[in-house]
Amino acid sequence: MIRTPLERANGSLRVAHESYDESLTQIALASERLGSNARLALYNRQYWFRLFTLFHGAFPLTTRLLSHFTFNGYVSCFLVARPPRHWDSEAMLAGFDEFLQQALPAGTTPIEGQRASIDTLAVLEAVRIDSAFHRVFRAPAFEAFQPSGEHAAQLPTSRLIASPATAVLEEHWPLCELRPQIMLEGGEAARALPPRLEAARHWLLLRPENRLALLPLEPREARLLRLLSGLSVECALAQLEQECPAEKRASLPEATQRWLARSVALGIWVGLEMG
Amino acid sequence: MTRERPQLERDALGLGLRVPHYGSLLDHGPEVGYVEIISENFLGDAAPPRRHLDLVRERYPIVLHGVGLNLLGHEPLSSAYLDRLCWLAEYVDAPFVSDHLCWTGGQGLSHHDLLPVPYVDDLIGVAAERAAFVQRQLGRPFGLENLSTYVEFESSTMPEWQFYSAVVEQAGCWFMLDVNNIYVSSQNHGFSSHSYLDAIDFSRVLQVHIAGHSREADGTIIDTHDRAVADDVWRLYAEVWQKSGPFPTLLEWDERIPPLPELLAELEKAAQVRA
Repeated sequence: MIRTPLERANGSLRVAHESYDESLTQIALASERLGSNARLALYNRQYWFRLFTLFHGAFPLTTRLLSHFTFNGYVSCFLVARPPRHWDSEAMLAGFDEFLQQALPAGTTPIEGQRASIDTLAVLEAVRIDSAFHRVFRAPAFEAFQPSGEHAAQLPTSRLIASPATAVLEEHWPLCELRPQIMLEGGEAARALPPRLEAARHWLLLRPENRLALLPLEPREARLLRLLSGLSVECALAQLEQECPAEKRASLPEATQRWLARSVALGIWVGLEMG
Repeated sequence: MTRERPQLERDALGLGLRVPHYGSLLDHGPEVGYVEIISENFLGDAAPPRRHLDLVRERYPIVLHGVGLNLLGHEPLSSAYLDRLCWLAEYVDAPFVSDHLCWTGGQGLSHHDLLPVPYVDDLIGVAAERAAFVQRQLGRPFGLENLSTYVEFESSTMPEWQFYSAVVEQAGCWFMLDVNNIYVSSQNHGFSSHSYLDAIDFSRVLQVHIAGHSREADGTIIDTHDRAVADDVWRLYAEVWQKSGPFPTLLEWDERIPPLPELLAELEKAAQVRA
């Protein structure tokens, strides 16, 4: 009974009257106003409205950059292939960002019904940002790890464990600035992509006092935090030094000390994995 | 020392707790008798919703209202879901918990909707046994809500109210009576809302819901919860109150949610209508 709902000819949800199998229409009674087909179609439309709304809420930036209609098209393909299977509506969102990476065309993505298109890389960046905001908001509470003297010996060969309530973001368009504006605005048409930034910007997304906050990061600071999430402390520092241009290496030790201290003070680590 | 479970006054007026009102509710502490939360929004470990819940429960009794129990699904009740529900009920010390007399999914899929069943004798026992089990697990009163529906089944052998009453009586559970849903369904299917209400044992009504609905061009009414309560529903509520009150009354408003003062004014209408 679940059908993809989008009427591509006129950029709208499919009109009310659908045709369903006799096996279904024989079960459902017609009323004075509506035939069985129309009554079943009502549930079909409700299904899609509900699920689209959930995805709009979880991916607000992506939704508006593509327009609701274009975004809904991708959501419906995703959900026809992977229908919801869990009472927790959060579960149906899993894998949507990876799906979009595969589904979006290379180069530019057409905005349906608007004779426009958007740089696909910007859309993928928006999906990553939306996913990060969603994940950080929904993370459980964690106690911050505060390294002390007893950790000194193990620290270099251990890996710092990042809190799930934090994320390091990189953007080549001012999307982190656009996101809250879009969420206040409302509307369903595609929002124009702002001009590309001259240089990438980096942010730390975290959740102090259960409210989301964005802190600007220096590029190498962002790189350090990413490296520390995957490598031991000494390997991360070595990698950072190797990537650093020779003329900037002299100031690197002081900078990394400062960045490490800041990361600990912000509470973005929740533990240590011994090497 | 065991804390006594919060009790609701029999004429209490309550509000559905929704995200846009967290700030106003906690800052201004309006006089409402209680709040109702959608259980599924708080079954996970996300810290921000948990924090809001902690702040709200310091000030107001909280009742739970679920949409994911799938009482009449083909598959057995989810023990994982029920465990979390019991945990949440205990966590907020809910005076009662409710969900719907419906199915929400089958064959491993979740429809994320509240779907009606044919009203037949065979299903009364199934529904009653499950409802009784849920109530025992919760250790507190459990109410079943009547749906607003857009389809009826050829195979039904009795009206909805007869089925509903039989389930509640056999289960030894409670009615979570939605007056707006009675109105919506009565209009969509052409039955008398008074026939429905005459069948309800009001000594077993835990709570009454009121909400807004919308009317389609073809006359079908959709239970949208996105506007003020319709005059016809207020009239029905007033009749019910005169005949069978008092009972706790909760205003549901889930979409296009107005500022809190407007919600409170709408809730105040319930008090005026009763007078």
